[in-house]
Amino acid sequence: MRSIKHRALILLSVVALLLVMGSAALAQDVQQMRVVWWGSQARHDRTIAVVEMYEAAHPEVDIVYEFANFNDYWTLMNTQAAGGELACVINQDYAYLAEWARNGLLQPLDPFVESGAIDLSAVEDVFIAGGRVDDQLYGVSLGTNSQSIIIDVDAFEAAGVELPPLDWTWDDFEAIALQLHESLGVWAYGAPTLGDDQIWTAMMVSLGLTPFNEDGTALGFSDDQPIIDHFSRLLRLQEAGAIMTPEEASQYATGPENSPIVAGAAAMQYQWSNQVVAIFSAAGEDRHFRLWPMPRPANAVGSANYLKPSMFFSISATCDMPDVAADFINFFTNSTEANDILAAERGVPISSVVREHLAANLDAVGTETFTFLETVAETASPIFPPNPPGYNDIRNNVWTPLFHDPVLYGQISVEEGVALFRSEAEAILSAN
Amino acid sequence: MSEPSAVLTGLNPPQETLTPEIRAKRKSKDFKRNNLVGYLFVSPWLIGFFLFAFIPIAISLYLAFTNYHLLRGGEWVGLANFERMFTSDIRYGRSILATFKYVILAVPLRLVFALAVALLLNTKRRGVYWFRAAYYIPSVIGGSVAVAVMWRQLFGGDGRVSEGVINTFIGVLGFERINWFGNPDTAIWTLILLAIWQFGSPMLIFLAGLRQIPSELYEAASIDGAHGWQKFWGVTLPLLTPIIFFNFIMQMIAGFRVFTQAFVITGGNPLDSTLFYALYLYRRAFNDFQMGYASAMAWVLLLIIGFFTAISFRLSKYWVFYETKEG
Repeated sequence: MRSIKHRALILLSVVALLLVMGSAALAQDVQQMRVVWWGSQARHDRTIAVVEMYEAAHPEVDIVYEFANFNDYWTLMNTQAAGGELACVINQDYAYLAEWARNGLLQPLDPFVESGAIDLSAVEDVFIAGGRVDDQLYGVSLGTNSQSIIIDVDAFEAAGVELPPLDWTWDDFEAIALQLHESLGVWAYGAPTLGDDQIWTAMMVSLGLTPFNEDGTALGFSDDQPIIDHFSRLLRLQEAGAIMTPEEASQYATGPENSPIVAGAAAMQYQWSNQVVAIFSAAGEDRHFRLWPMPRPANAVGSANYLKPSMFFSISATCDMPDVAADFINFFTNSTEANDILAAERGVPISSVVREHLAANLDAVGTETFTFLETVAETASPIFPPNPPGYNDIRNNVWTPLFHDPVLYGQISVEEGVALFRSEAEAILSAN
Repeated sequence: MSEPSAVLTGLNPPQETLTPEIRAKRKSKDFKRNNLVGYLFVSPWLIGFFLFAFIPIAISLYLAFTNYHLLRGGEWVGLANFERMFTSDIRYGRSILATFKYVILAVPLRLVFALAVALLLNTKRRGVYWFRAAYYIPSVIGGSVAVAVMWRQLFGGDGRVSEGVINTFIGVLGFERINWFGNPDTAIWTLILLAIWQFGSPMLIFLAGLRQIPSELYEAASIDGAHGWQKFWGVTLPLLTPIIFFNFIMQMIAGFRVFTQAFVITGGNPLDSTLFYALYLYRRAFNDFQMGYASAMAWVLLLIIGFFTAISFRLSKYWVFYETKEG
């Protein structure tokens, strides 16, 4: 009797435990497809609207979406990848696409393109090429963008400074900045920093070099002089009060609505072209901003601008409903209704049909972005190969904390900083 | 769990004569059975402990000797992670410096402040209970992200720095406004001030300690002609040393592990002046995905905390006074 009671008790506990574990597993629905992306609130709102539009047209599909800002997004993605829990449709970046594809985390999309499930017939190859890794397509570009300098035309007029030529050099930039500062008393340039590592890569592109060598085992250039010149220039301009020191720039919180140019405290600002929408709208309609190509070093052999896929949609290798995922990506790329809502917020759409459709009824910002990219496309330098593994480490732990900040805060000389950058970066790259 | 079966045994008195062997056998059978039920009852906790504490800790010890990367995997590298930490990682040195600076400044200041407030509240004035509760509130909400965000805004971290409440105050008083987050000398002080403000839990412990001090000692001191400060130095402080020691250990450990505040308020900037150990560890693990290296860092932090705790215990015999101790 005693043992029966005991056994019943044990049995009950085991059953209860199994029930708790089982209910969690049963809650999953096979009809669901997960989609994840990064971005700002404006992007989330637009993307969610498009997701709902797709669901309305396909009642058999229930899309579960997640989104985060860029940094949190990659924490989430890497953790999910390690746990084998990746969503079906995932947002990818040019910096990581190759590494993810080579680690077998993504599905090649060529079969879907061949079958027409992802229809790229209206897309020029130059906009598809960025998504290829080892001759296979792993990501469909969601828009094209390029680096730019936003120019406050009103400030230029007030200072009596003429707009620079499209192929302006950093020498032109320095002269203009000093002139703007002297006649207006405001900063010619505020934030974000002109020492960004992506400005370094732009500079290398204009010199006909690549930031990293072909195997990704070392830096792709041997002469540090362009970087030394650039940072010496920044220090000169800081001293003249024409551009903000990092300490002064830190007074402006991040986020487009807090930009110095929006506050009227600066006349120029560096920005990726797909991110200018928020700045133009925060500044209001009575301000006049234009997008200008990046300045280049005096000895440049080509444009400092290159066309970059702003981001991709990829299908994860673990996705169990790739046909639905492909159809969703196709909808995102080719549907004019969807793109009416998305409104080129991720960059200029890759489909010429969608572009023509949007161009017909663009607002002022849209027109400026579209024309800017058309202008840039005429002379753009070819994009450098995807960044090698370790790029992130270099950006987070070498470029900014060991080189950029100490140099611009005046703690170490430019030469010391560049030497440290080179030795630390090469130490990381040599592990590849 | 022996009670129910004892009752059951009582209900069924044994009929046959029991040899010691049988009795021992029965006993061990009962013991096993009773233990099994016992383990089943604690199993939710045990499973939780093994799944979420013991196994991850063991794995992290293993990972500390690998170059495991979240995406690329990894292999055994022996002591390479530790070598890198102490010989070539410049930012690691900076994180050690920032953490020690924080611990050395924030911990004593918080304790002094907590003790001062506890002394003020250890009186029989009206409304003192209300004040005790009110002063504890910052600690209840202290570790939260919300407070950190608020703190950031007080110092002007969102929007223009001149618009922060603290700077408005400084401006009204006629001093020059301070760019708290832009200057490597001032940024860490925003975090130290936050630590001081969250004095609630050591304060409560001090209060309890103060109430333990027998009032006869104060009476005796008064009869001997001692006044306010003399009583404090001669009676309160010596009798409070065990409490001070306890608070010091707890706060020191918390100080070495400081994370949320720096993560939200300064992000380690500027110039890595607030890049605390735990923050750098987090960045290595979840921004750079170097789990092996981050695990090694975590174990070194454990050793650092262990070392300083041991030193504190060693030194405690020179200044901590236990009333009950012989001699």
